[in-house]
Amino acid sequence: MAPPSRPSLPNSPSEISLEDSKGFSYLRRLLLQPEQTELERLKGRLEDFTLQPHDVSRVLPDAIRLRAQQDSRLLTSMIPITQEALSLSIKQSPQLISDSIAPILGPAIRKAIARAMRGMVQSLNQTLEYSMSWKGLQWRWEAFRTGKSFAEVVLLHTLRFRVEQVFLIHKKTGLLLNHVVAEGISGQGEEVISGMLTAIQDFVRDSFGQKQDDGLESLRIGDLTVWIEQGSGAILAGVIRGAPPIELREVFQETLETIHAQFSELLQVFKGDVGAFEETRLPLEDCLQAQFEKKSKGFPLAFWILLGLLILGLGIWVFQARSDQKQWAQLLERIGQEPGLVVTSIQEEGPPTIFYGLRDPLATDPEQILSEFGYSSKQAVFHLKPFMDLTPEFVEKRAYAVLQPPSSADFRWQATHLSVGGHAPHAWITQANLLGPLLPGVMSFETNGMFGTEDLERFDTLRARLERLSVNFLVGGSALTKGEKTIISKVSEILESFDKQALLLGLNPQVQVLGFTDPRGSRDANLELSTARAKNVVQALPTNSFRALKVEAIGKGVTRSAEIEGLPIGGRRAVFRVVRPQGNLLESHK
Amino acid sequence: MSSKAVIQKKICMLGGFAVGKTSLVKRFVSGQFSEKYHTTIGVKIDQKTQCVDDTEMLLVLWDVYGEDDFQKVRASYLHGSAGYLLVVDGTRKETLDIARQLHTLAVQSMGAVPYVLVINKHDLRESWQVDPKMYEDLASNACLVLQSSAKTGEGVESAFNELAKQLLKA
Repeated sequence: MAPPSRPSLPNSPSEISLEDSKGFSYLRRLLLQPEQTELERLKGRLEDFTLQPHDVSRVLPDAIRLRAQQDSRLLTSMIPITQEALSLSIKQSPQLISDSIAPILGPAIRKAIARAMRGMVQSLNQTLEYSMSWKGLQWRWEAFRTGKSFAEVVLLHTLRFRVEQVFLIHKKTGLLLNHVVAEGISGQGEEVISGMLTAIQDFVRDSFGQKQDDGLESLRIGDLTVWIEQGSGAILAGVIRGAPPIELREVFQETLETIHAQFSELLQVFKGDVGAFEETRLPLEDCLQAQFEKKSKGFPLAFWILLGLLILGLGIWVFQARSDQKQWAQLLERIGQEPGLVVTSIQEEGPPTIFYGLRDPLATDPEQILSEFGYSSKQAVFHLKPFMDLTPEFVEKRAYAVLQPPSSADFRWQATHLSVGGHAPHAWITQANLLGPLLPGVMSFETNGMFGTEDLERFDTLRARLERLSVNFLVGGSALTKGEKTIISKVSEILESFDKQALLLGLNPQVQVLGFTDPRGSRDANLELSTARAKNVVQALPTNSFRALKVEAIGKGVTRSAEIEGLPIGGRRAVFRVVRPQGNLLESHK
Repeated sequence: MSSKAVIQKKICMLGGFAVGKTSLVKRFVSGQFSEKYHTTIGVKIDQKTQCVDDTEMLLVLWDVYGEDDFQKVRASYLHGSAGYLLVVDGTRKETLDIARQLHTLAVQSMGAVPYVLVINKHDLRESWQVDPKMYEDLASNACLVLQSSAKTGEGVESAFNELAKQLLKA
């Protein structure tokens, strides 16, 4: 019997028939369909290899982290992009950046300013405190001798302790992460110092078989002490001058702890990029502390001198201020009392102080009052409006100013009544009679008691002319000679005018006719003769027509002496003298 | 901080005694050379700023004392080193053995960090005792092998510069 037929396996691929091929494909599809679909999908992705954002977003954070752990190339390549992005961002929206960094920047600036101010004030205090004392002079000499600055010498003598430098050192590499110095200290070779400090620590630790975490805690070189604080990733070393208090250790420790808390990751992966540790500057600067000796023995001489000067200055100032005040008060009082000046308000915001008010034009110039008190227009000015003061003083002043009387006129006031006496030219009297009643404050005005100056002058002229005349007689005779009658008529004419003038002036003059003889003959006979001569002259005069004059005859006998001015002794004559009113009228009315 | 460079690297000078480590450092840092021999006790540290590919680097050079029968190099000095110069005295082939020992110590304490193998005292070529075959093993992993002379300055700058370059890449 023939075996059952079954498809025989082809001996070679060329032997596969079309039918076999279809069957094989069918079988393959049947067996490998899911895998084939998957393979085709994967093939499609490989052929069209473009990363989808969705895919990248899933792996990006981990990829960045992993790469950053490997090396710094990712960081390095991101630097320019980040810088450019930041620069562009600042240009486009500066306010946003400003708002974002303000919370950090503000406290940092405040802290830095406070630190700088503290250092400056402390240094200034020290220098000032010692600059004038005996010790200060010694130190000044020392500064001159050693070439150091005075402030530096003061600092060295008064320093209790001062942290001059602080090093932050990477523990594993000994590389310097950051370094700060106190003001006035210059750091030098700090990277080398950092390395040496690490090497010394390593040496000591190795030599005495200590654990890795153990290390040197302090070094002492002369006046300098180096305190070292160990951390897991970094070492803090402070170089201190003087004797530091134990509390300073705590400050160092706290600072190191703060830095570890903030930078622990950076410390672990540190590969020499110290720029990342720049932010440790502020905490490190907090370690730059200092303490100075306090002076206990009283105050220095300079203090007392300064205090004395201060008190003296204060005293002078107070005295000056008080006398200024007093002077000012006196000025105010004077201005308040000054006639014709009324201050209504004072504006004292100045200088200058401004006085507002009223001023009579005849009142004293306020500028003059100011200068009397030693002030000028820089201290005070006056804004015064004119007004008319009706007090008696100003009414009188105004009367004088308006009427301008001659010196011979005499103003007599009775309350508001003004009467003028004395004498003045007729023209003035006429003018005064017009203006006087119009003067403000003058209720009545009169010049009735006044003489016209011209009238007095005429009276005096007539009198002088009369007294220059004399009537001469023959020896032993008392009769008027023919020639003398001419004189008599001249005298009569003068007397008539004199009488009229006296009447005008309201006077009753008394005129004496004096008779004289020569020395010959007896005294009685001469007296009689002289009386007869005087009487004869009087009789020859028109006395009845005189209304004001009174004429009397008097025998004087022999002229003994210069009894009558201008007469030679022993003349045979009669002369005329006005005995009332006596003297020159113009002069007597001045 | 005084230095402008923000990248700092610690570099150790390793080699037997009197191979010229201190002289190489002195030549590199200050351009000077002295015939006088001073044995280094402990470690001496120097620094130099080097510009590599427009990047300023501060190289902190730890000149570790030369190892001999009396003093062994302390591994603690090597900690944290980014790289090292392995110095051999070309006129004394025994310094190759010391270099091998120090290389092993370095790998143990720092890991596989870049190093430059320097065969020093090339100015004394006539009394040379070493040839390249003798230090093939040390040269195989070194980033650069060169012959130098601290006296003439030959190869000194190149040695430090190449190491700095490698450190920047690392």
